[in-house]
Amino acid sequence: MMAVIALVACSSLITSCKKDETPQITIVTKTDSLSVNFSSSKPFAFFNFKNGVVVANADSASTKWDFGLRFTTFILNSNAYGPGNAGAIFQNTLYSAVTEAPTTGYAYDTSSAQKAIKDGSWYNYNPTTRSFSPKAGQTFFFRTADNFYVKMELLAVDYAAFVGMQPDKLIYRFRYTYQANGSTKF
Amino acid sequence: MKTRYILFIFLLTSFASVAQLDTTSKSLQQVVITATRTVKSIGDVPLPITVITEKQLQNLGLQKLTDVLQTQAGLQLSNNILGQSLQGYPNPFGSGIQLQGLDAAYTLILMDGMPMTGRNAGVLNLDRINVNNIKQIEIIKGPAASLYGADALAGVINIITKASTANTLNAQVHYATNNTTGVNVSSSIQHKKISTQLFLSRFSTNGYDLDKTIYGKTSDPSENYTATIKNDYKISSTLLFKNQLRYYTQKQFNNYLVDVAQQPQIVKGTSIEKDWGVHNELIKTLNKLSKLTAKVYLTGYANNAKVYVQKNNSLFDNTFLQQLFLKNELLYERTKNNNTFLTGAGVDYETINSSRYANKKELSNIYGFAQQEFSHKKYNLVAGIRLDKHSLFNAQLNPRLAASYKINSKLQLNASIGRGFKAPDFRQQFLFFTNSIVGYTLFGVNELSNGLQQLKQQGQLEANININPFLNIPNLLAETSVGINAEVKWNFLNNIKITTGFFRNDITNLIERYNLPFTKTNGQAIFSYQNINNVFTQGAVFSLQAIVQKKITINVGYQYLQAIDKNVVTQIKNKQIVKRDPVTFVSSYTTKSEYGGLFNRSKHTATTQVTFQLPQAYILNTRLIYNGKSGYADINGNAILDDEREYTNAYFLAGLTISKNFNKGIQLQAGADNLLAHMDILRLPHLNGRNYFFTANFNINKLFKHSQIQ
Repeated sequence: MMAVIALVACSSLITSCKKDETPQITIVTKTDSLSVNFSSSKPFAFFNFKNGVVVANADSASTKWDFGLRFTTFILNSNAYGPGNAGAIFQNTLYSAVTEAPTTGYAYDTSSAQKAIKDGSWYNYNPTTRSFSPKAGQTFFFRTADNFYVKMELLAVDYAAFVGMQPDKLIYRFRYTYQANGSTKF
Repeated sequence: MKTRYILFIFLLTSFASVAQLDTTSKSLQQVVITATRTVKSIGDVPLPITVITEKQLQNLGLQKLTDVLQTQAGLQLSNNILGQSLQGYPNPFGSGIQLQGLDAAYTLILMDGMPMTGRNAGVLNLDRINVNNIKQIEIIKGPAASLYGADALAGVINIITKASTANTLNAQVHYATNNTTGVNVSSSIQHKKISTQLFLSRFSTNGYDLDKTIYGKTSDPSENYTATIKNDYKISSTLLFKNQLRYYTQKQFNNYLVDVAQQPQIVKGTSIEKDWGVHNELIKTLNKLSKLTAKVYLTGYANNAKVYVQKNNSLFDNTFLQQLFLKNELLYERTKNNNTFLTGAGVDYETINSSRYANKKELSNIYGFAQQEFSHKKYNLVAGIRLDKHSLFNAQLNPRLAASYKINSKLQLNASIGRGFKAPDFRQQFLFFTNSIVGYTLFGVNELSNGLQQLKQQGQLEANININPFLNIPNLLAETSVGINAEVKWNFLNNIKITTGFFRNDITNLIERYNLPFTKTNGQAIFSYQNINNVFTQGAVFSLQAIVQKKITINVGYQYLQAIDKNVVTQIKNKQIVKRDPVTFVSSYTTKSEYGGLFNRSKHTATTQVTFQLPQAYILNTRLIYNGKSGYADINGNAILDDEREYTNAYFLAGLTISKNFNKGIQLQAGADNLLAHMDILRLPHLNGRNYFFTANFNINKLFKHSQIQ
């Protein structure tokens, strides 16, 4: 799996692989994937942008994670779900054209039914192929739990290989740029 | 490119045989009823019409109506999925026929002039209709709402069943691949003032399995029975009573794997489908010019799928749909100097209930219509209008104007314009459904208010969510269309008929599913329906019919089709649609030239059929159907068709039937379908490789006579 991710990262993000042409070391740009429960009752998978890692469920009450995902539901580390200051904006913009994140207007999950990223808003479901396809041309802006800015694009949501009737996991693939110096510029 | 070449060769050979025609034979003028609801010679009909006769049906020897219809140009089988942009579902209940690029739900299906009921997700399973009891199939293209009301938007398919003509007794035995067997008996009795036509049939198949790695068959075994009786009783010289009863039942034996508490379990059960009708008509001849007809028609449809977990025999799923439809109609017809005036009025009453609805629904419709035909030597004009007021949606006024002009004995021009409408379908209005596995909820528009209040009471919505804006949503509007058709008919050398036609349908208020702006407490979405889209379909149809030395009949047809979502075109222009390549993940704007229109439609379709009358009473029928590539599914994240990888491949379906008539009243037939054995398990699951069939037809009267003489 990691080999695939690395390959994707290099083929799709040529700029990020040519390290000598990337002067701003404060920016982390990568393509990552996340294995997520295909269930709306099982635990969330938590992700941390700064280190690009999955955070253990035991740390769900900490500020170690920025967003959580299960099935097609995003939660943020703030307000209803965590002690952090995470927020999100979901925009119809080409990811590659974005050079700056908004400074205001970040939404929180005010309750389990009123989330910053509305379920069903970011994908097209095809009943024929049963696929959840992230809508093209959309960019997520995140403010992390500890107030750094990120732009993110969902690339694909695939079913993990499975035996039996239905899969347990969805594999989310996404690319993001994390601005480590705290500014909104990418 | 290769497929185009094959097509070209096929067309070329057809033309080559046309070149050797003799010019003496003249085909008899067929009589049709569907275009104007008055008996009309086919040459006088100013609308695009296709007729399939009993003789053609016999020569084809096909047992499925969808297979028969597919042999005609411009009638395309839509494979399981309804058009995606029309927000279809996968349809497990049978395939429908696409007309002028519009889904099966947009064509009205009539049996002997009366609407059939029982559509699943908008599609009426045509294979409920037994081909062996059909006298003639009439297909009118373009809106016909001015005569028939709802759903006659893309057109009308009228199945005319056999009527009693003489005292006869016929029987048929059929055997085909997958242990498919059919037996039917038909009898015609003429006794004094009464004539009766009786038809009985049993049909069964083992089904087939395309993927052995998945438990259960792709198509389950089934058996069905049909019984129809049609009576005509001449009460007096001016009064005729017609009565017709039909009953159809099918049992399908289901056996598949499901997931119960994360464990795969075998479930077994049956799906039972029933369809019946009672049709009474009283026809009173008022005088030499006019007559009055009263019709009472009651029809019902029911399906019920019930499956049990094999291990403990507990009920796993029970879904049903029950529909009842009553039509009362009065018609007045007056013909003077070849000019016919027709007027009528009626009331429809309907009930529907389903396991996915909250309760039983009652609906009604009141309508009236009038039509005037003007016929002269050179021209034919039909003007009609109909008003429908349905209990659930806005009143619909549908006019139609059609004209034909004979330039000379060989050349005729037809043109027509009409308005049509489609009633919002039942699920769009009444669905009350929560997916038990995932947990999302779907509400039909009429259930939205109740449903949201119920969710709130049950605590499935947070207290601070404002549902008020969704409590008084107006009913869905009917989807409406304006259709234009034009044709040039050319009788070339007497026995070659060439027709070139153009069509365009503009449809507004298409209904689509949308997300409510809040979710349930389980994080799952709530969906309902809205009038959103505007689409158009347009294209050209070419057909050629030639008879060579009375022995060879050639039919060639071709359709070019464009089906475009107007909203998508605007969005592309405004740079609002982005595609993301599924391999490179590079995103860019979709361009106008990349947009391929609605999914599940072939731009190019063609059919050819050649029937040879061979020596010693042999008849050979060969047929070839070409379906050009069509959109299958989105792969680049914008839900529209704009990438070469989103298309299925083009394919050919070939078939042949050979019949031999013995003069003792026996006809034997053998044939094969899908000769090229084209298969695509995923996209075309209705194709299960090459199929062979054998049929024996017995005319028992003749058989009996022969044995008496000997």
